[in-house]
Amino acid sequence: MDAGAYGVLCCLFVALYFEVFLLISFFEKRPAGKSRELPRHYPTVTMIVPCFNEERTLGKTVESLLALEYPADKLDIFIVDDGSRDQTPAIGAALARAHPAQVRYARKENGGKYTALNWGIEHSQGELIGCLDADSFVAPDGLIEMVKSFESDANIFAITPAMKVYRPRKMLELMQAVEYTFGIFYKKMFDNISAINVLPGPFSMYRREVFKRIGLFRHAHNTEDMEIAFRMHAHGLKIANAHTAVVYTTVPPSMRALIKQRTRWSQGFLQNSLDYAYMYFNPRFGHFGLLVLPFALAAFFAGLYVAGYALFTFIRMIETKLANFIASGVPAHLPSVSHFSWYYLNTSTLTLLIITTLAMTLVAILLGARIANARLGVKAFASYFFLFGLIAPLWLARALVGALRARDAAWR
Amino acid sequence: MSWQRYLLAFVITAAIFGTAFYAASQFDATRVADIRATEQAISIDILSNETQYDLLSNLSCQTLSQNSGLTDELNTLASQLSVEENNLGSSNAEVVQLKEQYSLLEIKDYLLMQQISQKCGIKTVYVLYFYSNSGSCPQCGAAGDVLTYLRETYPGLRIYSFDYDLDLSALKTLESLLKVKGQLPAFVINDRAPIYGFKDLGDMQKLIPELKTMATTTATTSKQ
Repeated sequence: MDAGAYGVLCCLFVALYFEVFLLISFFEKRPAGKSRELPRHYPTVTMIVPCFNEERTLGKTVESLLALEYPADKLDIFIVDDGSRDQTPAIGAALARAHPAQVRYARKENGGKYTALNWGIEHSQGELIGCLDADSFVAPDGLIEMVKSFESDANIFAITPAMKVYRPRKMLELMQAVEYTFGIFYKKMFDNISAINVLPGPFSMYRREVFKRIGLFRHAHNTEDMEIAFRMHAHGLKIANAHTAVVYTTVPPSMRALIKQRTRWSQGFLQNSLDYAYMYFNPRFGHFGLLVLPFALAAFFAGLYVAGYALFTFIRMIETKLANFIASGVPAHLPSVSHFSWYYLNTSTLTLLIITTLAMTLVAILLGARIANARLGVKAFASYFFLFGLIAPLWLARALVGALRARDAAWR
Repeated sequence: MSWQRYLLAFVITAAIFGTAFYAASQFDATRVADIRATEQAISIDILSNETQYDLLSNLSCQTLSQNSGLTDELNTLASQLSVEENNLGSSNAEVVQLKEQYSLLEIKDYLLMQQISQKCGIKTVYVLYFYSNSGSCPQCGAAGDVLTYLRETYPGLRIYSFDYDLDLSALKTLESLLKVKGQLPAFVINDRAPIYGFKDLGDMQKLIPELKTMATTTATTSKQ
């Protein structure tokens, strides 16, 4: 085994440690199923829909909010247009006219998503504030499930939902569907250890008090949803996950769009990590500071290292084979398989550990699917296990370069 | 803060790592045992052939030549050794020992086959190939590919490959008898003078004119 392979072993140790930690957490506190109970009290809710050039999906997003099983007089839907240049203003205004009792539309100068959210918070009265990206659709009982979670613990200040991919069809979408299901598992486990690290745009909800205590959203390197989670942890405000509150979100269908989105997320993580460096390995911030932040950073660099090592090894092997092939003058032919036996299978420590890590990832995904009642086909699993490892290093590398240059990634 | 969970996760992860190391070493041990068993079987076969040779007066050449086909076993052994060398490293004591034993078996098979060929008038083509895995022979990989291809194409061709770096007295004696010096790769074809340096497939076919009269495998012939 060469020196580089020992580095891969270290990365695998970190990955396995994290997966084991989360599985222990799962067996200590298994997520309960959906109950038929209704909330004792229905607080007023403002659902802010920040949008910028969302003419394709805005209508459906608002329709999903109008279909929520929640008293209409307690639900205020607020479309905040961040200076769209397509048909979004016309669609938003039409929705407000069609549902004047529940839907409001406001247009402001373009200033970024966080400014649209802040505008909505400042111009609303709801006791609970929800954010819903204009490309996401909430399940009819989603809000009730959220409210029940808030009701279960007065110390919960924000809640994340279970996010599923909306109608995945293409390979990339199927890959993300599996990834999001994996996310359902680890978000719930992060909830178990009070260490949720992001409040995503699709359907995260806050008590209004959060913004009074710690202020409004910040630019935060175009990852305001991550920064607010960091800031809430810094102020000791509890974040929970309502795995029974389901939201469906559209995901980037093309490689280019996906890499752009993930570069923004990853770069935002690096830059926010610098801003909140004092939380790392700080027991004052519980599992968030001791486990989640350090692991996320380690995973970032481990991903780059393993991809770099695999690429280097692969190129070196191809180079040798090609050089030998050209030099030898032997005609191209398939290797003989007549003597194939178990003997030739790779059973090195590294291979066994990679298989174990992948198996545990599969277990986590299946648990995520069970928690959120998600269905995933073989094609989706194949897409995830074959594609994710190949694509992810691309956005990690881009994010690292971007962070080193301290250049913010665009949110649209 | 439950520190026990951190400790428990560490213990379980360490146990998984330990199990993986143990399982991998068990797989390697099984492979080494397989190689040893194969070497043992070949050793017995060679000893049997030698005994038969000594009793040649009582045996027909047909019987001898029928029982002396150890090429396949040696080739399988060679590829198994290559896997183990890859897994454990070429400097691993176990690997070195297995390779030494393999080299001895090759030498014995080579000598016996020479004797049988002479006695029975069988026209056999031998290639003795000397290589190094130590990095001093960058073209040994390509030379190995050429010989593998020739062996697959001409089943009657007997190729014996020797790691020049092995510190084995019998091998050193063979090298000095064949006048093989340190320049690698080196080839000795049918006891002719050693040929040094890399030779591609075309060169090799010219250096072994006997190949023209040898039978080829149907499958490979059709690819040519």
